Amino acid sequence: MANYFNTLPLREQLRQLGQAEFMDSSEFADGVQALKGKKIVIVGCGAQGLNQGLNLRDSGLDVSYTLRKEAIEQKRDSWKNATDNNFNVGTYEELIPTADLVINLTPDKQHTSVINAVMPLMKQGATLSYSHGFNIVEEGMQIRKDLTVIMVAPKCPGSEVRAEYLRGFGVPTLIAVHPENDPQGKGWAEAKAYCVGTGGDRAGVLKSSFVAEVKSDLMGEQTILCGLLQTGSILSFDKMVEKGIDAGYASKLVQYGVEVITEALKHGGVSGMLDRLSNPAKLKAFEISEELKDIMRPLFQKHQDDIISGEFSKTMMEDWANGDANLLKWRAETGETAFEKTPAGDVKIAEQEYFDNYTLMVAFVRAGVELAFETMVEAGIKAESAYYESLHETPLIANTIARKKLFEMNRVISDTAEYGCYLFDQACKPLLADFMKKVDTELVGKNFNDGKDGSVDNVKLVQVNELLRDHPVEIVGRKLRKAMTAMKTIKTI
Amino acid sequence: MPTAFIQIQHLTVQYGIQIVLDDLSWIIEKGQQWLIGGKSGTGKTTLGKALAGVTTTSGNRRIDFDTTSHLPATAYYISNWFQFTNLEGDRNFYYQQRYNKHQGQNTLTVKAELEHFARQENLDFSEIENRLIEFGFADVQQSQLIELSSGEHKKLQLVKGLWLKPQLLIIDEPYTGLDKNSRIVLNQWLDELAEEGVHLVIISNDTALPNAINRFAQLRDGKIDEVGSPLAFAKESLRQRRTLPTFLKEVPHTPYDTIVQLNDVHIRYDAKNVLKNVSWEVKIGEKWVLQGPNGSGKSTLLSLINGDHPQSYGMDIHLFGNKRGSGESIWDIKQKIGLISPEMHWYFDQNATVWHTIASGFYDSIGWFIDVKFKEQKQIEELMAFFDLTEYKNQLLHTLPLGKQRLALLARTIIKNPPLLVLDEPCQGLDSDQTQYFNDVVDELVLYGKTLIYVGHYESQLPKCIEHRIVLEQGEVVAIENILVNV
Repeated sequence: MANYFNTLPLREQLRQLGQAEFMDSSEFADGVQALKGKKIVIVGCGAQGLNQGLNLRDSGLDVSYTLRKEAIEQKRDSWKNATDNNFNVGTYEELIPTADLVINLTPDKQHTSVINAVMPLMKQGATLSYSHGFNIVEEGMQIRKDLTVIMVAPKCPGSEVRAEYLRGFGVPTLIAVHPENDPQGKGWAEAKAYCVGTGGDRAGVLKSSFVAEVKSDLMGEQTILCGLLQTGSILSFDKMVEKGIDAGYASKLVQYGVEVITEALKHGGVSGMLDRLSNPAKLKAFEISEELKDIMRPLFQKHQDDIISGEFSKTMMEDWANGDANLLKWRAETGETAFEKTPAGDVKIAEQEYFDNYTLMVAFVRAGVELAFETMVEAGIKAESAYYESLHETPLIANTIARKKLFEMNRVISDTAEYGCYLFDQACKPLLADFMKKVDTELVGKNFNDGKDGSVDNVKLVQVNELLRDHPVEIVGRKLRKAMTAMKTIKTI
Repeated sequence: MPTAFIQIQHLTVQYGIQIVLDDLSWIIEKGQQWLIGGKSGTGKTTLGKALAGVTTTSGNRRIDFDTTSHLPATAYYISNWFQFTNLEGDRNFYYQQRYNKHQGQNTLTVKAELEHFARQENLDFSEIENRLIEFGFADVQQSQLIELSSGEHKKLQLVKGLWLKPQLLIIDEPYTGLDKNSRIVLNQWLDELAEEGVHLVIISNDTALPNAINRFAQLRDGKIDEVGSPLAFAKESLRQRRTLPTFLKEVPHTPYDTIVQLNDVHIRYDAKNVLKNVSWEVKIGEKWVLQGPNGSGKSTLLSLINGDHPQSYGMDIHLFGNKRGSGESIWDIKQKIGLISPEMHWYFDQNATVWHTIASGFYDSIGWFIDVKFKEQKQIEELMAFFDLTEYKNQLLHTLPLGKQRLALLARTIIKNPPLLVLDEPCQGLDSDQTQYFNDVVDELVLYGKTLIYVGHYESQLPKCIEHRIVLEQGEVVAIENILVNV
């Protein structure tokens, strides 16, 4: 199988890469009509599979699950998830031939084998849906020409997809139709109906392409989302211990700090996050994040280049073929870091203290979000896609770190993200060695404002605020966040 | 000469410009057991928290713990409100998710939670085992916290506090959501603790109290006002009767005879049967009360009707004339139902104002809504006026006194004038006058073609319109009967 993107002429590459259109809610007026009465069969019943299926069924659609024979015979968790919720479950042979829409929600790495098993069983003219385009774009999977291929990718973990739906809302979702596989021209109608079925239409839908989704998703996850949060966490912890800060305190500050800090990012973007700092700390965070951006820019660009050229997926797939040798090695190393092995201390850290004592992380997050966004946009990805794959997802990943540190974060994210994360982390740490030498506890571990009188230069502060607020990620972010919360805005009488 | 156990001087608590406790001074002497009652919104909860030292105040608080006692020298506050979080402290749960089954669910079991508490407080689990049985709480130990009903959550909070036996135990609304038997057990237990030397401060307007209670007070203008008995507590001023808004006098269009039909329904989680062979028919216009002890399956039964339970699919269930799972969405079902329940109240959007809360009823969403048209705005205004809520319309729902919150939620359930009202313990936490008022409204509402399913533990606290009763015990229907005369 050849890398699909690399088979395209440049103009087509650019066209698909640059596809991102924020859809108006009027486009969803037909509701779930296009899928009403159709047989939907979901392959896989993990967190995404189960929760999307629950939503689709609650939207009046006919949903069943197909699992591998062994999963059914051994009554694995996926089988229990489906049967405990009274879904019909059957083998590929039993259910796939009846399906009008097959939704593949298995892990990326299994896609090739799953599709090879499922495709010959699919009925003429049916539809196949993905929630990530790696298999199509990077592995170059060829789908039977009579089949329609769509993508519906909710940009949140499965549990949230369900919780938001039940609340009467949804999560932002990206949809696409593979241009090589839309023989009947029904792709968009079905993707939209599916999206209504999961509630995505109420939170903002981005009309994208398989190519744009893959190239931006890979970039986001390996740089800012997972890679830099990992590097920044480990370096911060080590620095505090080196400077004599209590290890339990340091562990807690790092584990929960990313979550608290990026919660501010979620609500108010990069500028909202920096607004949580005092004025002097804000200026400092701005200054060091500028420096961090300069240091890390070449690394971000290299990651983007390797993703666009297919070099990244090629090396990763070689590792898959090699029994995940590198992945497992790096995973073990992550489990061995001092941060991972030091339990969070039994100390109270107030919400504001996470900002005041962890200015360094604020700087890391700002640098990473802006760099990832800028690099993606420079590569031809649209601002909307770049926003979802950088800023929007950062708090979600930070949340997994708060749960059980980096090991857990790497366990929860996809194999592809995990591989890319380690790759980035390996290269980024040496790059920051000199920078970290200059870092002291005022930036990480102690309150930056201690011993300062809080005064700043007016002009400087105004300039910095403007630079922060006028960054393109903030401009597109304001628009998209508004769509996500459109329904709760106050329309008073 | 009596000795002071707690001395409070010049205690002031202020939220924004609102002064809740105003230079309050109070002495609790050794051996005194207090009941704090009176009107809602007078600062009872704030006082409870201030006594326990869990809220910031100005002024002095001094507790002379008995250093020779075997009881922990500590003050413990049991809140009237339970904020549910999962293991990871994730608050983003929604009440309906308790019905979803997902392997590797990451909330604690009741047993694990109790064991954790025992380790933390150095308690012995064997001390509590018989209590759990008496309290009807032994069977739920393997349940996930998220699966508990509101009454069971209350019990869990109570068990922890009573097990600890702190020298000062403050319980805010201990009886909320408890079934009859559990209340009796609780009061006996509290009496035993008082005997052992625990000082109680109970915040409640309930009349069935532990015998040990020997002092009574209410709050007046932010200060303590000791009274001779609960009879002297100031009552909520009775509300003026108002005319029902016209839009609620329109009989909803119902082109079917049966609202709910369940045939031999089973719900189980692994080995645990939550509902067994339940069959039940509710015809249009009927007024039902659903009763049963805490944990008997009442909420689960209602979740089948409200479209919330994933296991409804594949069961023999007809709702509003349609077979469940025949292409209807849960929003089609919810659109015909006005629902209020303690669980929904818990998880209600913290950012919703009273106005938002009511408006969201048009969309069956929790605090969210798209746009409200002119006619709908009119209805919201009429309803706010009807419930005396107009002056609170821009206030956050959760900052209102509980009674007002419930009225706002009732307004939310009826704003779309649905054919079916499902009121699951709507008066939990309300005093008898508030309950009376609430039920009077319900009686008036159902005059216009509505069907009612009402959950309430006490006969004396039901609307007069109730004519049928269904009783559950351990997931089984033990009685379906007509009520001829109202008590």
